[in-house]
Amino acid sequence: MIKSVAITAYTTLNACGLGNKALFQALKNNQSALSTLELFEVDFKTSVGEIKQPLATTPNHLQAYQSRNAQVALTALNYQEDGLRLAVEKAKQRYGAKRIAVIIGTSTSGLYETESAYSYLLKNNKMPADFNFINRHAYQATGRFLQLELGLTGACFAISTACSSSAKAIAAGQRLINSGVCDAALVGGVDTLCRLTLRGFSSLNLVSEKPCQPMDQSRSGISIGEAAGLLLLEKSNTANQFCPQLLAVGESSDAYHMSHPHPEGLGATLAMESALSLAGYKPKDIGYLNLHATATKINDAVEAKAVYSVFAKQLLSSATKGITGHTLGAAGALETIITLLALEEQFVPGSCGLEKLDPEFSCRINLHPIPQQKLKIAMSNSFGFGGNNASVIVAKNYD
Amino acid sequence: MPVLLWQKIMTDIYIKASAICTPNLELLSPFELEGYIIDKSLIPAIMRRRTALSTRMAITAATKACQQAQTDPSELASVFVSLGGEIQVTDALCRLLPDKTALLSPTQFHNSVHNTTAGYWGILNHCQQPSTAIAANDDGFAMGLLEAWSQLQQSPPELLLVCYDELWPQYLAAPIGDHAFACAFVLTTINDAAYPAISVPKITNLNLTLNLAWSELVKQAPATATIPLLQAIKQQQSGYIPLNINSSIWQTHLTF
Repeated sequence: MIKSVAITAYTTLNACGLGNKALFQALKNNQSALSTLELFEVDFKTSVGEIKQPLATTPNHLQAYQSRNAQVALTALNYQEDGLRLAVEKAKQRYGAKRIAVIIGTSTSGLYETESAYSYLLKNNKMPADFNFINRHAYQATGRFLQLELGLTGACFAISTACSSSAKAIAAGQRLINSGVCDAALVGGVDTLCRLTLRGFSSLNLVSEKPCQPMDQSRSGISIGEAAGLLLLEKSNTANQFCPQLLAVGESSDAYHMSHPHPEGLGATLAMESALSLAGYKPKDIGYLNLHATATKINDAVEAKAVYSVFAKQLLSSATKGITGHTLGAAGALETIITLLALEEQFVPGSCGLEKLDPEFSCRINLHPIPQQKLKIAMSNSFGFGGNNASVIVAKNYD
Repeated sequence: MPVLLWQKIMTDIYIKASAICTPNLELLSPFELEGYIIDKSLIPAIMRRRTALSTRMAITAATKACQQAQTDPSELASVFVSLGGEIQVTDALCRLLPDKTALLSPTQFHNSVHNTTAGYWGILNHCQQPSTAIAANDDGFAMGLLEAWSQLQQSPPELLLVCYDELWPQYLAAPIGDHAFACAFVLTTINDAAYPAISVPKITNLNLTLNLAWSELVKQAPATATIPLLQAIKQQQSGYIPLNINSSIWQTHLTF
């Protein structure tokens, strides 16, 4: 069993809009935010979870870091109502700038900008003058941007393990705090729509033409989304004892295939069991599970099997990618936030897009949002390419 | 003092084994280090065809380090650190994108993720332990060691840390990627007189004099940030070791 840490603030920007309230409204109404792709063109039909609202502009002295990814992160960070930035400033005063780590998960980083730069490269045989691979596209770029923007000077790195990236960033933050390397950690994930991921997933025949239908018997693939999900973790003390707590993150590898999950869901099962064991809880203690449920044929089938093997029929779960899209490297953080909202608002989200549950599935999946009194402990699953799995457990008023 | 308190409960970490792989062994001679070129026999033909220089190099270094440590790779959690990861695959895909009708290879696409090497390592060794892929620009080795150190505090007793960067196209961020280099460490919490101990990486105020030839090489091959530690291990020399070449120097203390 490991020590829990406090989640003293969190916020998100995603297709539902800016902040936790916009996300909660969409969850409460079980309302999809998927729409047609406007950011660029692709030659196939698809729906995406695209952020349509204006983004914050990167400050002049950090122009070298300018990217859609950095802008999405900054817009979320600056959203006052959720108080994340203020909480970081307070933590900085309390612990010192050196004692706060920044760990951001991403799969795309600033790839969107690099794609335009390659168009220029192929025409002109050189990169455009303002091209800056290290500060815009390399994986640590968005994390470093946030660190500089906030004037933090502690550890700072990116985790990029495809769709489990930001769940693992949350895990790394807890470990750094628990091993005394830092007192607080800004963790989470930021991923943005780009051509490579859309066309890449399409090449694997994994992109759905219509809005995705996780766990449905006629599901036909994913709808890709974009998001920032940011959380401030702090070592637990009396001042933050009423904040939600991060209990543990269980991690595992499939060791099976780069893009297919283990057919029996062994990796997924291991991640959930490891999370339970690190948190010191039994399956019956978990009140809600936010599924990874991407809406591909095989992923959903394997996850259903794994969830059943750990929880049998007793746990209420749901799939929320029909609302936000699959936000890839940001999905772990975004869905941890959805799970925190479920605890905060005492409800179990529905599964938007799910009309007829695949009859092969034995686990319990919730279709429509329902109030759930005394929801205390909940889990969120994230599984990625390379067979990389992570399950996050959070709690409210945990003692 | 709280600082003393946590230091007391923290476990020491020891370096059980280390190994280098680079296609250009001459890189190592100024530092009096030895390494391996890619050992094709370690990677099955089907995987060799699918993987790039980065993965083959990292797998060679990691396998050699595990052999030296006499550790079963299937039991090890792993931390893979790279600035660019699968940059050659990503570059090839990005070159296709301006043509709106070009078809991407599905294999190339799933091989472009940063944890490609970590994924193949797990498949090769049937290892279901947690595996992570991190990046931190110039601080990659320091952050990798920090992540490894904190993982071992939570999940002892052994862990594999691999730092690698392959050759990059010149137009991305030259001179980064002018040389390819991989290095692997097997770290352990088990105290043995034969293993040197490393302290938790910290930003230092110590005025460490950086070897000029080394700091030039790090600008071309970020994973060579590991060289001062490798040298100190070879020479069995205790002392403070720089982990990066930045203005704020991360360092660890090595104790024999």
